[in-house]
Amino acid sequence: MRKIALASVAVVGVLAAAGCSAGGDGGGGDDGAEIRVWLVGTDTPDAARDLLVEQFEDAHPGSTVVIEEQSWDGLVDRLTTALSGSDSPDIVEIGNTQTPAFTSAGAFLDLTDHYEDLGGDDLLPGFVEIGSYEDAFYAAPLYSGARVVYYDTAAYEAAGLAVPTTLDEYVSNADALAAANPGDSGLWWPGQDWYNGLPFVWEHGGEIAVPDGDEWDAQLSSDESVAGLEQVQAVMQGASLAPVDANETNAQVGYCDGTTLQVSAPNWLRGSILAPADAETPGCPDAEATLGVYAMPGMDGGAASVFAGGSNIAISARTEHPELALDALEIILGEDFQTIYGENGLVPARVSLASTLGDDPSAQASTEAAANARLTPASPRWADVEAAGIMQDLFVSIAQGGDVRALAEQADEDIEAILNG
Amino acid sequence: MVQTQVPTAASPAVTAIAPPPGRRAGSRDRRRAGALPYALLAPATIVVLAIIGWPLVQLVILSFQEFGRAQAFGQPAEWVGLDNYVGVLTDPVFWEVLGRTVGFAAVCVVVTMVLGTLIALLMQRLPTPFRILVSVGLLLAWSMPALTATIVWGWIVDTEYGVLNQLLRDGLGLAQFDRHSWLIEPMSFMGVAVVIIVWGAIPFVAFTVFAGLTQVPDEQLEAAALDGAGPVQRFTAIVLPQVAPILVIATILQIIWDLRVFTQIFALQDIGGIRGETSTLGVYIYQTAIAGGEFGEGGALAIITMAAISVASIALVRRMLRADS
Repeated sequence: MRKIALASVAVVGVLAAAGCSAGGDGGGGDDGAEIRVWLVGTDTPDAARDLLVEQFEDAHPGSTVVIEEQSWDGLVDRLTTALSGSDSPDIVEIGNTQTPAFTSAGAFLDLTDHYEDLGGDDLLPGFVEIGSYEDAFYAAPLYSGARVVYYDTAAYEAAGLAVPTTLDEYVSNADALAAANPGDSGLWWPGQDWYNGLPFVWEHGGEIAVPDGDEWDAQLSSDESVAGLEQVQAVMQGASLAPVDANETNAQVGYCDGTTLQVSAPNWLRGSILAPADAETPGCPDAEATLGVYAMPGMDGGAASVFAGGSNIAISARTEHPELALDALEIILGEDFQTIYGENGLVPARVSLASTLGDDPSAQASTEAAANARLTPASPRWADVEAAGIMQDLFVSIAQGGDVRALAEQADEDIEAILNG
Repeated sequence: MVQTQVPTAASPAVTAIAPPPGRRAGSRDRRRAGALPYALLAPATIVVLAIIGWPLVQLVILSFQEFGRAQAFGQPAEWVGLDNYVGVLTDPVFWEVLGRTVGFAAVCVVVTMVLGTLIALLMQRLPTPFRILVSVGLLLAWSMPALTATIVWGWIVDTEYGVLNQLLRDGLGLAQFDRHSWLIEPMSFMGVAVVIIVWGAIPFVAFTVFAGLTQVPDEQLEAAALDGAGPVQRFTAIVLPQVAPILVIATILQIIWDLRVFTQIFALQDIGGIRGETSTLGVYIYQTAIAGGEFGEGGALAIITMAAISVASIALVRRMLRADS
């Protein structure tokens, strides 16, 4: 009998567990809809989040907007599972280079008919292009972040340097800073940071990959690209003391302890450097007086073509409330919401709002850099190249001192295998 | 473990379950009781089948389909027969990853088992206060989530600010460890990964073996000592045969865990190193299926991995059973 008693306890336990999980389902729906918005990272300021909730709930009494913050790490797989499941969020932010993986798979609602309502030709053109697939418009721009160069004006002065006006000067400045300050990085450049290598490839006339009929032709081993990558190797080895296999996060640590004299990074790095010393990720607000900024110069002067980081935003194809989601999206792309991005140093999704960035040196450098920004190949499979870490591995090997042409040829082979797979 | 006093008894459990003697009445009782336990077990079995069996069936189906992101979003999946398996098995990268995984797991298992057993033997001899201290230390290491542990170990071996480099450079005066990268060389990367995994796995082995050691009767050891057996002889002749089943189970679990290791390698690759030269099967499946969106091929990889793990475990179990009898 004792055994039977035990067995029945187990059964009750199992039933109780099953009951719990069944009870968790359901809910929501009856009294007003709930629109779930996934925003990634902390780039979107709280003021903008509050504004979205307020404006939406004013316009739709009874319905609510819930913002769920996601992290950039592993975003593509989380979106794949979330958007294909029965519990899909309604609106999602996604990295611009990751967008084609989802537009081509049918994960997003077709917004072609609403293009004009969402902003029309005022939307950032490069982002509209990467958010479209086979002549249909799926993912609107959300914001763009520009890559600029931060430097220590005191170190520049001590070394007798001026802000560079060409790419070669940019390189020679980095070398000169490193030579004048042994033990410090003239340009802090950890090996995994491939985004900063792209301007060198593009400015020398190279490409990552170009469309060739139905296929992609990877171009990193072309003479032009290799020339750029060799320059990258020279800078990484000559001017940078950053770990050759580290990633580019937390660049403010080295800047604040004085071992980084110059670094190319997304423009929100300024906020990280000037964060209070007792913040969760501490910065060094005292450095403001000597914190200089400029847009990375191109081969023949002017701003270089830099990688345009940024996000797109789209509505899930599985949303239960397409009308409401569309209204929320209109608020997000509206003037009020986008102005808050501009005021916080991010390039707004609407070209006409560029002036909201202000006109301090940091904003000027950002605007200049954004005007010349470029993206990675618009292939649905490019996100897979990023996820496989091919670009990171390539630049780590370059930083390590490997043979650039051989490494680039291998990378081309790997990239073509994925893009044409 | 009620029958601890009869360590060599072959079938105490069987005798306990055997029906009491008696003819007609006894057999009717047995029949009635025979149906009830199964009926009571049915709900739990169904739940287990639904939770574990169903995904497994799905995985097998997936591995015979062309299943990418578009299929995840509702397009019909095409049957491709053995294409995914052929694709995986003819890919040199797979064999490279498999070899690396097996070698890596072997090192992890051996080091974990040896160190874990030694710590268990140590715990047996320690005075109680120190044994509690060691137990608490082991428990803390055990309760640390793998991701957290990897990040903290990552800080320790950090190229620029890591305490390991600082100790070697400033403490021991070894200048070559200034900004030494512990992760860029694949062997060095795997070495760091072994340390993290062994560190996390030792507590389980130590506690399990320690529990087994307490079952070895002191009288036998005493008698052997009187007969002139040294410590090594006593361990190999008396202790080892009695804790062997526990060691086998612990080893099999370690093999399974180490062959499918994911978190530590994945997190460490973000901290440093070159992904293409350090991926193990778990990470490779993730890269193919989840990150790369090739769910069909990833499914085939997962099935192959499962088969490899089963073969390794079953072979070990059979050998052990043979040795036992």
